[in-house]
Amino acid sequence: MKDCETIRELLPWYASGTLEGDEARAVTAHLASCDACQEELALVLRLRRGIEGELRRLPNAPDGMWRRVAAEAFGRPLGRIDVGSFLVGFSLGANIKRGGVPVYGDLRLLGRRMRLFNVKQEEST
Amino acid sequence: MLSDRELVSRAAEEDEDAFRELYDRFANRVFRYAFTLLRNEHLSEEVTQETMIAVWKGAMRFQGRSKVSTWIFGIARNKSFDLMRREKRGDRVPERPLISPDPAPALLKAEAVSGAMQELPESQREVVFLTFFEGLSYGEISKLLEIPEGTVKSRMFHAKRKLAEVLA
Repeated sequence: MKDCETIRELLPWYASGTLEGDEARAVTAHLASCDACQEELALVLRLRRGIEGELRRLPNAPDGMWRRVAAEAFGRPLGRIDVGSFLVGFSLGANIKRGGVPVYGDLRLLGRRMRLFNVKQEEST
Repeated sequence: MLSDRELVSRAAEEDEDAFRELYDRFANRVFRYAFTLLRNEHLSEEVTQETMIAVWKGAMRFQGRSKVSTWIFGIARNKSFDLMRREKRGDRVPERPLISPDPAPALLKAEAVSGAMQELPESQREVVFLTFFEGLSYGEISKLLEIPEGTVKSRMFHAKRKLAEVLA
């Protein structure tokens, strides 16, 4: 049996459901016979409700961020030729990217796109 | 639905659709985490953008030893602290409170919790966020923050004590 101090340290994670196995069982067993720790759990649960409510009001990532991330990650599309359908097909395209103009070929198979090649041509300066 | 791990694995093969899905799953979470640390929307946006790009570029290096969320939050955390150093955050006033005021007549207790959250040191606020919003275990938080599990529990203990005062 764990002591009250040890149990109370674990209560936030007991309340959030991330305690597992022996620890979760030990807390449950202790709570069954300890009024003081039951009160502490009630306090933690009230806190959790209050905190979750506040955290849900945190702002979200701004709209339009994806375009900037995609431009940096993949480059800005220069052109693309698609052959076939969404399920089975082939794409050949080129992007403008910082430091080069990569040309890529993708195979589409059952809705999944797989990159076959990605040739990075360095821009002449 | 593909797991986070499968999406990272596909992103490592330069599957842009898989990366878009990862972005959709994580961008808001990363933004909110960064905002919890930085309390500044502009800087949080920068961190989120840099983090997601790092995920794309580093997907092939993801070993799968941790959860994808732990890996991504780790990147976001490093970027946040890099940015804090760059911006010499000590001299900066937060752009706005951690939580915007609720225009609805909120419960007084809830508002008190909100105020108390803003008063918490960043290290404690971070543990509270990761526990109650991201649902991370103390072991996962310990790995992410690279601190002993005892320190995670201690930060939570102090945060809980301060927050409990407003509910008393």
